[in-house]
Amino acid sequence: MNHENGTTAGPVAEIRDLRVEIDGRAVVDGVSLAALPGRVTALVGASGSGKTTTGLALLGEYPPGARVTGDVRLSADGPAGYIPQHPATVLNPARRVRALLTDIARTQVGHLPPGRRRSAARERVLRALAEAQLPDAAPLLRRYPHQLSGGQQQRVVLAQALLLGARVIVADEPTTGQDALTKSRIVDQLAAVAARGIAVVLLSHDPDVVRALADEVIVMRSGRVVESGPAPDAWRAVQAGRTREPLVDQPPFPQADGSTGTVRPVLRIRDLTARHHDGARGTTVVLRAPRLNLHPGESLAVVGRSGSGKTTLARCLAGLHRDQDGRILLDGTPLPPSLRNRGRAHLAAVQYVFQDARAAFDEHRPVLHQVARTAVRLRGTDADTATREALTTLASLGLPEDLVRRHPGRCSGGELQRAALARALLARPRVLICDEITSGLDPITRRGILDLLTSLVRDRGGLSLVLITHDLDTAARADRIAVLDGGELVEHGPAERVLTTPQHPFTVSLVEAAARLTARTGT
Amino acid sequence: MTRLRTGRFALGVAVVAVPLLLALLGPLFAGEPGPRGASFTLGDGHWLGTDFVGRDVWQQVLHGGRPVVLTALAATALAYLVALPLALLSALTHRRWLEELLMRPLDVLLAVPSLLLILLAATVFSPGAVGLALLVAAVNVPDAARLVRAAATEAAARPAVEALRMQGETWWRIAVGYVGRSMLRTLAADAGTRLTGVLYLVATAAFLGVGVAPDAADWAVMVDRNRTGLFVQPWAVVVPALLIVGLTMGANLLFDAALERTGKETRP
Repeated sequence: MNHENGTTAGPVAEIRDLRVEIDGRAVVDGVSLAALPGRVTALVGASGSGKTTTGLALLGEYPPGARVTGDVRLSADGPAGYIPQHPATVLNPARRVRALLTDIARTQVGHLPPGRRRSAARERVLRALAEAQLPDAAPLLRRYPHQLSGGQQQRVVLAQALLLGARVIVADEPTTGQDALTKSRIVDQLAAVAARGIAVVLLSHDPDVVRALADEVIVMRSGRVVESGPAPDAWRAVQAGRTREPLVDQPPFPQADGSTGTVRPVLRIRDLTARHHDGARGTTVVLRAPRLNLHPGESLAVVGRSGSGKTTLARCLAGLHRDQDGRILLDGTPLPPSLRNRGRAHLAAVQYVFQDARAAFDEHRPVLHQVARTAVRLRGTDADTATREALTTLASLGLPEDLVRRHPGRCSGGELQRAALARALLARPRVLICDEITSGLDPITRRGILDLLTSLVRDRGGLSLVLITHDLDTAARADRIAVLDGGELVEHGPAERVLTTPQHPFTVSLVEAAARLTARTGT
Repeated sequence: MTRLRTGRFALGVAVVAVPLLLALLGPLFAGEPGPRGASFTLGDGHWLGTDFVGRDVWQQVLHGGRPVVLTALAATALAYLVALPLALLSALTHRRWLEELLMRPLDVLLAVPSLLLILLAATVFSPGAVGLALLVAAVNVPDAARLVRAAATEAAARPAVEALRMQGETWWRIAVGYVGRSMLRTLAADAGTRLTGVLYLVATAAFLGVGVAPDAADWAVMVDRNRTGLFVQPWAVVVPALLIVGLTMGANLLFDAALERTGKETRP
């Protein structure tokens, strides 16, 4: 991998006037892009704006049945690498990391005498891993992909691309669903790749990361480029509101009625312990929450890194995690730990919205039908009333009738997440638990859903919200924040207090990481 | 691609149609059995010659498909009738003991070779056609239940099932409406191979004389009884044998093609 930094001025990959049509509808229309060595080109846009289609075009991949016109040119001295959003999907789960990388390296040492091939391949593998920010990777080589963390998987995929001698790397939403610490590490990692003279094409809807990394910004909306240019200019345009890109200040959730001390909490958690079964190895305690209250009309954000037990807490409340001790009291009466033992009233009172909305819908039935069933089952209304009510609720969440009569496969992720909210709301819940429901969405859609939650808390008197999130910006909208680390509830209190004067060292590091990311981006 | 798939579909239909139509409609056109002639002759007014006791082979062929096909279809249906509820119940319960209670006995049954079990049962009970169907179904239950349960367990672990529970849906709606619906493709694929296996088992049992009279009009029995005259009058063996082969092969081709079709449709 020898190349001179900066001397190759021409683009290593270029797209000219690309147009991709599926069933006569243009998903990408007239997009041009040049990836220069050592530069980061960011494609920004909401989901469905065509940025992934454009990124994949650099690899010569198109959706099935697409009609493609335009020009995609790649420089001859290296292929394009691709880091997908879920790196585990491209790593063969049955093979160890060493095998995954050596297979590629072996093809490149064929010119050496047979005796030296093995050591040369090993050397290349270790060098690629070091370049992918995985130094001292020898122990990792013995592991299988599922034994690596998401971040490590991402870097192994990157190492594969580097081994192939990729001159341009397409990174698809590399920071989606990551906490602030991981995010800033990924930013460093991509910056290091670019510093080695490789062109990086970043597909992202995360404004922080784009501002931290991008040299060129291309803003896309419904398949078209609406803004492009060097990063500072393009961002100024974004900020001036010309392209309506988000990252505007987010209004907080409405505050709970002042004196929370006098109102009885709707939900009380006492000495909650949750465990996971690990097959033969017995059980591990994954969550300890000694004491937590939720008042009517209040929103509580639960933050922490992935694996900190925040989803387990949510699932305990919803009755989806049976292996728990301690008590969860709804208006003073204990809730059964499993939702199979909860009656209609209890089920309706505590509703849960899943992170992956698509997986939480039955793909064989229309969305409307599935939403309406909540009212039928939990409130005993007849089918017609339920359907009418579902239509009203869905419409108030911005989902028109012709859309919700479709099957889930023909709705977008954001639309399904709204429908999932509607499904939970039809139960008229007292407590609504939202598990990372905005993490897979682009900023516009995310903002829309958060605004929706805000107005729900305001309009539906007494609805309490439990918001599971890794994103401190989202958490800042809540009244109170609970911080989880390694399954322990390390801190909780009013949102402003936790964010401005954090007390536990972990909260301090979380807040600092978020601040560092913002500082790098220069806002 | 599409042409290839349609081609395979048409071939499957063609191959399976001949034996199936013969089996189901044959007895209607067979007419009265004529007088018996000499054994293993060719010609002499007999289109396919005569068999080991001098009966007309074509007439025997027309009569002999129904027991094979009906027994096989009934046995397959019966096997699923038992296996499906068992598997769904054990996949959707969270009670470990219930799951063990439902599935463990089947594992014991699975360990015994199926043909051995049938022959053993036949010496004790000397079953008729219905008995044979029951026996073949019984030996297929453990297999089918395991496969269905594996598919159902995967579907039952999806968030969609949790969401349905959160809505207070009934067991029936969750088990049949969602889990059952989700594993339909796996089920169809299994049904294709299972039907072939059952046909093979029924034919083998009949060939060995289980559940049928020794001179019954039955394709499998015909192959067995007439093989003594294979070199004198081959048709009495070749025709029923080919029909059985056509039935299994055609069924498999048909299921394959049908699955590819639905696969194409459901993929987004």
